[in-house]
Amino acid sequence: MKQYTDLEYLKLSKGQKLLYRITSFFCSIPKKIGGLFVALWNLIKTAGQVIGKEAADIWSTFVNGDWKTKLSYLVMGFGNLARGQILRGLLFLLFEAVFIAYMVLAGGYWLSMLPSLGKVGPTEEYNIIFDTYVTTYNDNSFKILLYGVLTIFFIIAFIYTWRVNVKQNQMAEKILASGKKLKSGKDDLRSLVDDQFHKTLLSLPLTGILIFTVLPIVFMVLVAFTNYDGTHDGYYNNLFTWVGLDNFNTMLNWQSAGGGQSYAATFGEVLSWTLMWAFFATFTNYFLGMFVAMAINKKGIKLKKVWRTVLVLTIAIPQFISLLYVSKMFAKNGIINGFLMSMGWIQQALPFWEDPTWARVTVILINIWIGIPYLMLITTGILMNIPQDLYESARIDGANAWQQYTKITLPYMLFVTGPYLLTSFTGNMNNFNVIYLLTGGAPTNPAASSAAGTVGYTDLLITWLFKITTGAESQYYLASVVGILVFVVVALISLVVYNVLPSIKNEEDFQ
Amino acid sequence: MKKFLAYLLAAIMVLSMVGVASASELAGTYDITVWVAAEIVDLTKTQIEDFNKTNELGITINATVEAVSEAEAATNMVTDVEAGGDLFCFAQDQFARLVQAGALAKLGVKAGENVAAVNDPSVVAAGTVGDTLYAYPLTADNGYFMYYDKSVIPEEHIDSMEAIIADCEAAQKYFAFEQQTSAWYLASFFFATGCESTWETDAEGQFISVKDTFNSPEGLIAVKGMEKLVKSPFHLSSASGAEFSSNAAVVVTGMWDFENVKAILGDNMGVADLPSFEVDGQSYHLGSFSGCKLMGVKPQVDPVKAAVMHQLAQYLTGEKAQMERFEARSWGPTITTLQQSEAVQANPGLAALLAQSPYSVPQGQVHGSWWDIAKVIGDDVKAATDEAGLQKALDNYYDKISNLFKLDTSALLFVGAWNGWNNADDTDTYYFKNNTLTLDVPESDYMGGRIVNPGDWGTDKGFAQVTVGKELIKDLGADNPDNNIVFAEPGNYTITLNGADINIIKN
Repeated sequence: MKQYTDLEYLKLSKGQKLLYRITSFFCSIPKKIGGLFVALWNLIKTAGQVIGKEAADIWSTFVNGDWKTKLSYLVMGFGNLARGQILRGLLFLLFEAVFIAYMVLAGGYWLSMLPSLGKVGPTEEYNIIFDTYVTTYNDNSFKILLYGVLTIFFIIAFIYTWRVNVKQNQMAEKILASGKKLKSGKDDLRSLVDDQFHKTLLSLPLTGILIFTVLPIVFMVLVAFTNYDGTHDGYYNNLFTWVGLDNFNTMLNWQSAGGGQSYAATFGEVLSWTLMWAFFATFTNYFLGMFVAMAINKKGIKLKKVWRTVLVLTIAIPQFISLLYVSKMFAKNGIINGFLMSMGWIQQALPFWEDPTWARVTVILINIWIGIPYLMLITTGILMNIPQDLYESARIDGANAWQQYTKITLPYMLFVTGPYLLTSFTGNMNNFNVIYLLTGGAPTNPAASSAAGTVGYTDLLITWLFKITTGAESQYYLASVVGILVFVVVALISLVVYNVLPSIKNEEDFQ
Repeated sequence: MKKFLAYLLAAIMVLSMVGVASASELAGTYDITVWVAAEIVDLTKTQIEDFNKTNELGITINATVEAVSEAEAATNMVTDVEAGGDLFCFAQDQFARLVQAGALAKLGVKAGENVAAVNDPSVVAAGTVGDTLYAYPLTADNGYFMYYDKSVIPEEHIDSMEAIIADCEAAQKYFAFEQQTSAWYLASFFFATGCESTWETDAEGQFISVKDTFNSPEGLIAVKGMEKLVKSPFHLSSASGAEFSSNAAVVVTGMWDFENVKAILGDNMGVADLPSFEVDGQSYHLGSFSGCKLMGVKPQVDPVKAAVMHQLAQYLTGEKAQMERFEARSWGPTITTLQQSEAVQANPGLAALLAQSPYSVPQGQVHGSWWDIAKVIGDDVKAATDEAGLQKALDNYYDKISNLFKLDTSALLFVGAWNGWNNADDTDTYYFKNNTLTLDVPESDYMGGRIVNPGDWGTDKGFAQVTVGKELIKDLGADNPDNNIVFAEPGNYTITLNGADINIIKN
């Protein structure tokens, strides 16, 4: 397509501008994908180069180093000890000792079992004396997977430490050759609260993230490649094992295995409603919340504090209670239908939770009621922050209220709250509470329901995931697959939207 | 010498069996967790104290009794056996799932015999897989019947579903019968017309076959009846006695709601067996599942603790404990002598259950996924606009059951002289399992048969599809319009369905 210069672009009419931008967006997609591959290739190339360089460095250090250095390759920290850096040397030595002890005592076992995830399941024996059956539990696939991953982490940490150990020898030799003195243990300790203070501060959070965030994520991702479910719990009934990409094949196959709808079709249906829900839940709340905040902010409105307090009260009540209660209110024999019927306005109950469309709309409406107070709170502050002189000059220029809103308020708001909009969109995609407590996914979608739990018209991916894990079969592996796919979807949307946000693109606009 | 040792060991074992669990071996204090329904928590605490006082084995139980509903208990156990209660109660429908999850300890031989001797046989069957008992019977009243508000539904109407619906619509009150979220209640209509869904397990609790006739002409009648109910604007898909306080006139639920409903309706409470519905001028009395609740013991590693747990479970499901639960909460006992006692027979709720019993189907072992698959029939029926829509609901259901069990081929039946040309054979000897069937062809005039769907006579596939083993069967040419497979000589054959092809091997 033809690329316009800035001047040519500005000459276009509004419709043409829009068309130009849309076509240029789609035309840029192949280029961007190509760029992705180039970046990936560069990454691999760089990684290869780095590894090659490291290996060469390790080799040359060994060849050129003295005997202290050479021995350090086997006994970590030996070089430090021999050169008088007792503290460092001992720490290296201790780490090596712990590593070897761990690998011999436990790590070796976990690692050797990792490829099979266990060999012997539980056995049962009859104890004739007590007239009872006694179970002996043997291999535990769950623990093998968990500790196997942990062991791999540990090995990586060991390799890294070993590399540091080699580097230290190289540096020590250099420093000594130049006639300077090496740092003592005291110096090291002092530097930890001085020039190395960042390491002291970060070591605890980093370990925490590694153990409590990264490790579970890796574990959960790996579950997607096993047959871990209710009847293969890995310890109490049957062991579970690796199944490769079978689960992804099940989930993404459009061909249903037998009768009923395929998982891929169900996934598509749930995903489309999830996106629809996230869109409406985010933007209805955003604009209506802003509207309410503006209305309360308006000059001449009395009792501003009262209105704000009344709205904030809905936040004060735990969502869990208010949502369950509202869900009952809208039930077929709930208070709302009861009231309408007793007034004679309707002859039969409105199908708030029975009809798919009604249920979806009701959920979105109730979510507005929950969400507005939060948005009102957030936007009130920002609205007050917009320089009043902008409005004054606009009024002098003859701009009406709508023009002021679209030209001043909205751009300013979008600039400040853009990242918030993105997080709330992704948050809504995973908004388990509202859906689960209000409808539990109902009404059931008979076509989409399969052995992996009953899927309803208001089920989000996240509530579907919940149903898969707690359904009759407890298919953790499928849940893990859904989790991974949710991540892919959310990551894609976030990346794309993040890059077009005004707050990221035009950072200086409102400074 | 070895043989002698073996005999000696056997003799010791037999001797020790006589003195099962003597006082000194089990004596001690045990810290355990017990999960029971909220309403009997206090009662169970008292019962455990009684057990501590009365047992002659020197056992002291230090129990934490927690309120975990029967439905939750099973899910929690399956999710994490280790964190589960040492003793827990669950409804029969969860039994298969718990056995598969390895969450139930088998009963000892003697304990099993004791339980089987005194309890209702159908309840014992509910806790049995193969020949082994896995759980203790707790109550036998896990069935449903009808509670109604006498001020809305006149007594002469309670036999007709249509009349009840009309009364409800006139009074703008609801008829609560959980048809859209529960297969357990929804099966009522199917049982009314004689449909069945019978599952069989092997000794390990794995399901090996199913006989399911929901998708049949009778099934269609059933969904027509169901349609009348679920399409009424005053039908409520719920099975909670509490609905009486929010505008319901009829609720189909069970004994567990008896005290609740009584508290709401007082003298206006009526109980009765389920009504009949009418399709094409014929009346069908609504059926029901009759099931029970069981108490399970978590598998133990320590034989002593295991023995103690079983002792306690026996006490808690014993005669005295069951009677106490009946008196306090009207829970129907499972022990036959108690069931026949006057007090139990005089209970109005249990009487309604008894009136319903001729129409009820004992709930056998059912595949865990069946509950999920079957429960959407109600929604399908509600969404249907014509008879084709109703049929589609059944097809949809059948597809999923087939998917679960690969019934599309494995449910095929090979009928012929060997089973008296019976196309709905109960013995399932002539069903294709995993696409394979081995059968003995006896000597007769016509040593042939046809491959059909159960209950159907149309040939699914036959002579024309045989690819391997064609020399073993006769080519009758035009004399074989039904595509039958006719063997040339008697013998033992293995027939394998390989996609559209049929392979025959002579053994």
